[in-house]
Amino acid sequence: MRRILIFLFVSLLAVSVNAQYAGYTVVNDLAKFKAVFSQAAQRTTSITSDFIQEKNLSMLSEKIISKGKFWFKKESLVRMEYDAPFKYLMIINKDKVFIKDGQKQNTISTKSNKLFQQINKITVDCVQGNVLNNPDFKVKLFENKGNYLVELSPIPKNLKEFFKSINVIVDKKDYAVTSIDMNEQSGDNTLIRFTNKEMNATIPDTFFIIN
Amino acid sequence: MQRSLILFLLLTSCLATMLACTTVFKGLTDVPGDVAAVQKFKPEFTVALYKTEVNVMGNYLSGLLLIKKMPDSSTRMLFSNEMGFKFFDFEFSGNGDFKVHYIIKQMNRKAVVKTLRKDFELILMQHPENGAAKLKASSEGLRYYIYPQSKGFNYYITDSTISNLLCMKRASKSKEIVTVIARDYKDGLPDTIGIEHHNFNFSIALKKIIR
Repeated sequence: MRRILIFLFVSLLAVSVNAQYAGYTVVNDLAKFKAVFSQAAQRTTSITSDFIQEKNLSMLSEKIISKGKFWFKKESLVRMEYDAPFKYLMIINKDKVFIKDGQKQNTISTKSNKLFQQINKITVDCVQGNVLNNPDFKVKLFENKGNYLVELSPIPKNLKEFFKSINVIVDKKDYAVTSIDMNEQSGDNTLIRFTNKEMNATIPDTFFIIN
Repeated sequence: MQRSLILFLLLTSCLATMLACTTVFKGLTDVPGDVAAVQKFKPEFTVALYKTEVNVMGNYLSGLLLIKKMPDSSTRMLFSNEMGFKFFDFEFSGNGDFKVHYIIKQMNRKAVVKTLRKDFELILMQHPENGAAKLKASSEGLRYYIYPQSKGFNYYITDSTISNLLCMKRASKSKEIVTVIARDYKDGLPDTIGIEHHNFNFSIALKKIIR
């Protein structure tokens, strides 16, 4: 009888763990996923995509929607061009971040700002596929019929202050990242969804030039 | 070109108003009138989103400021950058209480929080119900609605007919601390707000975003 109760308890626990993300179940073979994901990342030389960024403010019951275009080019060039709610351009080129906001331009060296460097690395690593190897995060993997959900829990204290977890959704078809959901300790989150993706198109280097 | 012209005109008009408002508060005389008349300029922040630019000691910061009136009549102000990283989340209660729900470590200094609190309280017209408020006028006929604070005073300066709020100021007994200009009210909300500190290099520019 006692055994049955323990079995029932463990089973219920397993169900509740699996129910962490609705419709997703835990994948235990992380190594296999890592290998396939890494191979797919190696085949990806560039990504061109639209994006919708949704900032959910739970306590305020508000959403701030931003939209724009996204370009990634190997090894670590990123361009994010916001069209709404206003024009804003951000280029990540190696260890520099260039920002153009209206008439104002600003170049930040991530070398001099550790937090910026870490956030920069997360953005590039997520789209590039190296995020699973980032030692700043503990990784858990879940799956449903069409997608993988990679849950990244930050380990360093300064990242924990910003994020409770970052969830990356990967399409099972092509192992491409379809969304990045950054969850804050407060319950707020920022979800970036990538749509109209084009893989390995030619993108000129001039797109990522920082003056 | 048109945008530059608008910006130039806006800056010129702000500068002209600031010059008009830079009188040291001497030679003011008591005048009869309703001290609560200035309440008509109290902004009605049901929910509003502002593009925000902050210049502090040569450093530039930009993002979005969400201002929302909550069901309990408190006002929340949340500032995040374009990518959704939150800088601060403040709550201003109707009774003058203030709560920091969140602030990033880099900004979490007593002086920074106090400065931002007082600046926003000036804009929100948080204390005008104060019974000690006075109404004075300058020799040019400008009306000065003066609200004593725990330290110093909040000034709301209008034209003689109380048709326009020319500027808001925070000042000690001897010197001006900050000047705020709010322009182009629509549905009880200013389209642009400029905050300029006089004792150190710190300014905030807000431009309402149509959602």
